[in-house]
Amino acid sequence: MTEFLDFTIDKFTFRTATDRFYSDEGVWAKPENNYIRIGMSDYLQQRSGDVAFAEIKPVGTSVAFGDELAVIETIKVNISLMSPVSGRVVEINPMMETSPEVINQDPYGAGWLVVIEAAERIIDLKHLLDPQAYFARIKLEAGLEVKKE
Amino acid sequence: MTDIDHTVRVIIVPCSGIGKTYGTVSREAAYNVTEDLRPEDTYLVALSKLVLGDEEARSIIEGNPAITIDGCKLACATKMVRESGGKIAQEYAVLDVYRRYKQFKPQGIAELNEGGAQLAQALAGEITQVVDQLISGGGGKDNG
Repeated sequence: MTEFLDFTIDKFTFRTATDRFYSDEGVWAKPENNYIRIGMSDYLQQRSGDVAFAEIKPVGTSVAFGDELAVIETIKVNISLMSPVSGRVVEINPMMETSPEVINQDPYGAGWLVVIEAAERIIDLKHLLDPQAYFARIKLEAGLEVKKE
Repeated sequence: MTDIDHTVRVIIVPCSGIGKTYGTVSREAAYNVTEDLRPEDTYLVALSKLVLGDEEARSIIEGNPAITIDGCKLACATKMVRESGGKIAQEYAVLDVYRRYKQFKPQGIAELNEGGAQLAQALAGEITQVVDQLISGGGGKDNG
């Protein structure tokens, strides 16, 4: 069962799942054998707003770390999500086509975006943050923004 | 509001989110229906009147079917109409409507871009159909 780190600012509580890794921008990567399941962190989805559409690179697309993997259109912004790992897209969450709002409802579960087959036998996660580091980062960032207001 | 007669009309209650694109779409659609498309059959009630507990607004809401248009998932319009004792014939969420009209991407706040204006028009068209059904004695349809 997934455990979470969380903090609350004003009326917003942000959760960070502890069983996966994170890119700086808030894309999570969860290794599953030689595959990596990918999605948006709770912090990123809450900051981005309600999702209208999710356009994801099709199955079979090869991506390198930092390549655009998906474009998420929300009521506030269009965000381009970079792949946190190198590999090939092997599965897209079918709910992205029919009900992308699942990203907002369950970002660490049913709201996953894609599964990537890793390019290397040993998945390279050195570019990513562990959950504690990501949690510390977003907590600091959110705190600084509150101070600005 | 004091000039309104109390024959059955369909009450339209849009989002009051000022400074929000989707809120603006909801209000533009509401104005389109109540001022241009079906002025005789509809009546616009400002959400703020319900929030403030305006007696006349509440009495109109209690006596007529309502169509609510929410700009975000907080669904303030729908919640306030329910809390005011209204009967909602149909509730719309602008984001769901946009998903049906992906070609009309709304932008802008005080003034909508062309996509936003077209989305408001498309929404107004859907609302008009529901109004016609209600006036002719039919019910609403599925949540849009």
